[in-house]
Amino acid sequence: MNEKQSELLDELYAAVVEGIGKSTVSLTVSGLEMNIAAEDLLGNALIPALGEVGDLFESGEYFVPEMLMSARAMQAAMDILRPLLAETGAKPIGKFVMGTVQGDIHDIGKNICNIMLEGAGFEVIDLGVNVSAATFIEAIQEHRPDALGMSAFLTTTMLRFAPNMKELREAGVLDGLVVYVGGAPVTQEFAEHCGADAYAPHANALVRDLKERLGVASR
Amino acid sequence: MRRRRSGGRAARQAERVANHIEQQPFLTRRLKPVEVLGNEGLEIIEHNADIMLEEIGVEIVDYPEAIELFRGAGADIDGTRVRFPAGMCRELVANSAPRTFTQNARNPDRSVVIGDPHTVFAPAYGSPFVSDVEGGRRYATIEDFRNFARLAYMTPSLHHGGGTLCEPVDLPVNKRHFDMVYSHIKYNDKPFMGSVTHPDRAMDTVDMCRILFGADYMEENTVLLSLANANSPLSWDFNMLGSAKVYAEANQAVLITPFILAGAMAPVTVAGAAAQTLAEALVGMAFTQIVRPGAPVIFGSFASSMSMQSGAPTFGTPEPALMLYTIAALARRLGVPFRSGGNLTASKTPDAQAAYESMATFVPTVMAGVNFVLHTAGWLEGGLTMGYEKFILDADQAGAGQALVAGVDMSETGQAMDAVRETGPGNHFLGSAHTLANFETAFWKSGQADNNSFEQWEEEGSQDSITRASQTWKRMLKEYEPPPLDEAKDEELCEWISLRKASFPDSNV
Repeated sequence: MNEKQSELLDELYAAVVEGIGKSTVSLTVSGLEMNIAAEDLLGNALIPALGEVGDLFESGEYFVPEMLMSARAMQAAMDILRPLLAETGAKPIGKFVMGTVQGDIHDIGKNICNIMLEGAGFEVIDLGVNVSAATFIEAIQEHRPDALGMSAFLTTTMLRFAPNMKELREAGVLDGLVVYVGGAPVTQEFAEHCGADAYAPHANALVRDLKERLGVASR
Repeated sequence: MRRRRSGGRAARQAERVANHIEQQPFLTRRLKPVEVLGNEGLEIIEHNADIMLEEIGVEIVDYPEAIELFRGAGADIDGTRVRFPAGMCRELVANSAPRTFTQNARNPDRSVVIGDPHTVFAPAYGSPFVSDVEGGRRYATIEDFRNFARLAYMTPSLHHGGGTLCEPVDLPVNKRHFDMVYSHIKYNDKPFMGSVTHPDRAMDTVDMCRILFGADYMEENTVLLSLANANSPLSWDFNMLGSAKVYAEANQAVLITPFILAGAMAPVTVAGAAAQTLAEALVGMAFTQIVRPGAPVIFGSFASSMSMQSGAPTFGTPEPALMLYTIAALARRLGVPFRSGGNLTASKTPDAQAAYESMATFVPTVMAGVNFVLHTAGWLEGGLTMGYEKFILDADQAGAGQALVAGVDMSETGQAMDAVRETGPGNHFLGSAHTLANFETAFWKSGQADNNSFEQWEEEGSQDSITRASQTWKRMLKEYEPPPLDEAKDEELCEWISLRKASFPDSNV
C-alpha cells in the first residue's frame, strides 16, 4: 500500500467515525480508482471505523443519532462495495432480516436495533411493521440472511412468535438461521418458550450476541 | 394499674382517621393553573399544528371507512394520506365537543366530572408485568388485575378505577377484555375504562355496560371512557380509531392520546413535540365529532424524553414537564378536558429514583391543571411494570393533590388574625381557639411516611417505605370487601359473558 492509499484509508476511517456520508462515498469511489481492493477498504478502514464508533457509543460518548449517521455512511459505502465483494467471494459481515410481527405497528425499538446492527456493519433488510409469517419466509428465501429478528411491543402480539416459529420450521427456512425475538414485554423465558434461538434485551446486547454467534471479529 | 380507656376514645380516633382519609369523589381546583408560555407562543404552536395537518397530513392505516368520513367532512384525500384545511379539525372539535362531562359510576356517589376546574386520578394502565418486593417481577395474571381493581376501590385518592390495570397474560388474547371489564364492574364501583384492542372488543364493552346501566341510560349518559393512542408520528390505525368510533357512536367518552417519545417519535424540542401532539390529537378528536357531534372526548398527551445515548425513554425530566404545561394550555384554549402526567418513572423498584421521578411528573401534573390523570398509581419501569408497593406509595402522595388544588384560603379563617391576636408575642399557637377549630383539617398527612423519632422508628423494625407499603397492600387485600352489586344484573352479566365466550374459539392471534 503506497502513501496516498494509506492516507485515503485514514480519511475514509475518519469519515465513517464522523458519520459524513458524502465523504465516505466519494472516498470509497476514489479508493477503488486508486486500485485499493474492496476487501482492504472494508477491512482496513470501514470495519475498524465501526469498531471505534461502537466503543464511543458503549462508553456513552456517542449518542444514537451519531451512531445512525456512521451507520448510514457505512451502508452507503457498502452499497458500492457489496457487488465487488460478492465477485471476489468475500463474505460481508452478515445479513439481518428484521420486522415487527403481524397485528403490531410499534417500531421504535426495532428501528434502534437496526441502527445498531448497521452501525456494526450488518446489512439489515427491514420488513417494517405488521409483518406476516409468510412475508418473513419470503424475505428469508430471497435474502438468505444470517439472522432474523421478530419484534413485538404488546402482550397481545408477542404471542405471534410461537406460531411464526412453527411456520418458519414448516417452510424449512430455519437451517443456519439465528432467530431473535425481542420487544418490551418479552423475556428470556418467554423467548425460549416460543422456540426462538435467542433473546436480546436491548439493541447493544443483540449486536454483541450476534457477533459472537457468527464468529465476527469485532475490532 | 392503669385503667383501660373506655371505647369512647378509640371510637373517636377511628372516626378521626376516617375523616382524615375521606376524599372528594374528584378534585375541584381553586388554584390557577401554571402556564409556561404566553398567548403568542401558544398561537405559534397552534399555527404550526395547522400547517402540519394541511401540508404533511396524517396516515390513516387500514381503515378506509375513516378516510371516507374525513373526506365527507372536508379533508383532502390522497390514498391513505389525509390532509386537513387549516382550522378544519379545530372547528369540528370546538363546535361540538363538551368542555366538561360526567362519567357515571354504578355507584352514583363515585361519578366523576371530567373537565375544568376538576381533576380525576386513575391508576396506571397497560403493564405486561407486575412486581412486589417479595415476589419480584413477573407476567401479570387476571388475579393481579383483580387485586389492583380491589386496591383501587379501597383507595380514596383514586377517583377512577382505570382500565388495563395490568395485562392478564394468562388469558387468551381475544377474550381478555371480558374478564377485565367484569373485574372493574365486580370489584370496584368507580367509573372505569373499556377495551380498545379491537372494535369488536369495544362493542363487547359497550354491551356489558348496557346490561349494567341500561341501553337507554347510556344514550344520554356517559359511563365509559376509553383510551385511543395515535401511532406517532402522524399516523392513526384501525384498531384505535375503530374502537374510538364504537365508543363515540354510543355516546361514550374517548381519550385521544398521541404517545410520544420525543427524539424518536417527535422532534426533540418542547414546541415541536407539542405542535405534533396537538396535530395528532386534533385528528382523533375531530374524528369522534364527525362520528357523533357532542360525544365526550379528552385531549391526551403522553410525552417523555429519551436517553439519546441508548434510545430508552426517560421520565421525571424537565422537558416533558414543560411539554405538559404547554399542552395543558393548548387544551384549555381548545375548550376540551385534558389528560396527561401521573407518577412516571423508569425505575424498576419503588426506590429513590422512582420517588423523585414520579414527583417530578406528579407536581407538574397537578400544577398544570390536568383534568384526567392516568398512571397516578403503580407505574414502574416506563410503564412495563405495575408495582404493588409503588401503587400504595403513589396513591398516598396523590392524596396531597386535593389540598394543593384547593389553593390558598383567603377567608377570615384563612387569614387567622384571631389566632395571632389571641396568642400574642412569645407564646405558642397549639392552644389557641383558631388552632383548636382547625387543626384536624389544617395539614394533609401521609399515611405512608414515617415522621417518628429515630428511636421509635428503630423500635418498630427500622422499616423503609417499601416495607411499609408492602404491609399496607397485603392488609388491604385481606380486609377487602366487594361493593354490593345487584345480584340479578351480576347473573345476567356472567351469563352474557359465558355465552359470548362460548360463541367463538380462544385465540392468541
